[in-house]
Amino acid sequence: MAENNIKIVSFLCNWCSYGAADLAGVSRMEYPADIRVIRIPCSGRMSPKFILSAFREGADAVWVSG
Amino acid sequence: MGNLLEHMGIERDRVHFSWISSAEATKFVDVVKEISEKVRALGPNKKLVKDYN
Amino acid sequence: MDTYINKIRELSLKLLKKKEVVKVIGFTKGTLPMATSPIAISLEQDVEKLIFNSTCGLNLANYIRNHKGKIAVIAKGCDSRNIITHIVENQIPREQLHIIGVPCKGMIDKTKVASLFDDDIIEFSEDNDTLLLKSSSKEERLNKQDYLRENCKLCMHKNPVIYDDLVGDLVDEQTLDTPYPDVEQIENMDADTKWQHFDKLTKNCIRCYACRNACPICYCPTCFVDESGPQWVGKGQDKTDVNTFHFLRAFHCAGRCTDCGACVEACPMDINVRDFTRKLNKDSFELFEWEAGLDLTKRPPLDAYSPNDPNDFIK
Repeated sequence: MAENNIKIVSFLCNWCSYGAADLAGVSRMEYPADIRVIRIPCSGRMSPKFILSAFREGADAVWVSG
Repeated sequence: MGNLLEHMGIERDRVHFSWISSAEATKFVDVVKEISEKVRALGPNKKLVKDYN
Repeated sequence: MDTYINKIRELSLKLLKKKEVVKVIGFTKGTLPMATSPIAISLEQDVEKLIFNSTCGLNLANYIRNHKGKIAVIAKGCDSRNIITHIVENQIPREQLHIIGVPCKGMIDKTKVASLFDDDIIEFSEDNDTLLLKSSSKEERLNKQDYLRENCKLCMHKNPVIYDDLVGDLVDEQTLDTPYPDVEQIENMDADTKWQHFDKLTKNCIRCYACRNACPICYCPTCFVDESGPQWVGKGQDKTDVNTFHFLRAFHCAGRCTDCGACVEACPMDINVRDFTRKLNKDSFELFEWEAGLDLTKRPPLDAYSPNDPNDFIK
């Protein structure tokens, strides 16, 4: 993997950060394209297993946001 | 969780937690930038990656 | 130790005779010298089988779940803390338990003792602080204090926290200025050295899950390693899989582990599994001022929300 091409697996809550991401998109804001978004129905759906899974599959970082 | 990963040798900045309301698009952008910068500084992760070959 | 054994037998006999309990869970002599195994006794004539010595390193709190009727259990300091954890986690009601508390004088590190001998140990006995060991080629008299398990050396809760009966006088508790020297040592390493340390630590792991099975707080009906849809972790001895298993098992013990040492005791490959769990014990102590299994009325830190949460991301 190239040094300047990183993957941040992002677990975003449907009602909070996912909405914020949507709003950021609609507002045509620019942000780094390193994040790979996974929408979760609620931050409560999050599990430590997900974080480990992401790393195992080659993520460079994990971001959990409610 | 981050603390234990760090204990095992996975850098602390590879796991991020944050809280952003759906109205806070600017905060979202700021957080993405911050995380992205930090992770770029660390470079790619080679630990705990499953080798399927 | 003999006074302990006699008292344990006497109390167990009384409880069984009066039909106050249907079973007594304790230790019995193992098939090898220097080994003991857990046993559940329901007949009066079997109380003679109960013993207690410095090799009773397993945690009996692991065996108190899913019984019918009231049971009695022999509890060292760490066992009693795990019993509290069980009660707090609704695994067993307090009324269903009769706890026979044993003030613990520490358990011995069997691997360390066995390493003194080239051949098998054929006889083991102890007299207060002296251990007597015999193999076919030599005899050794050892000072028990030199051969304590690592977790017993650092133990600050030797006396049972809850009990209905006691088999002896309470022992003095030690206070330590640095209760987590081993964790600090690892914390001072840089990220790559830490990674190598744990790689080396788990290198011999054969994935027998003895640590999980011996652990009193690992009681999930289906462990994450056995889940197949999705499969979180592979079944083989791949290094990533091994590390994932140990990492997640440790994380599940966060704020619940009492550092009883049963995992290390059970490990056939002598892996110091505690290197993982101790870090979380230290963190829960430093961040939440929490030590597992000391209070029946408090919820564990990862189970409750508090406005003073030390993590800043929630603000």
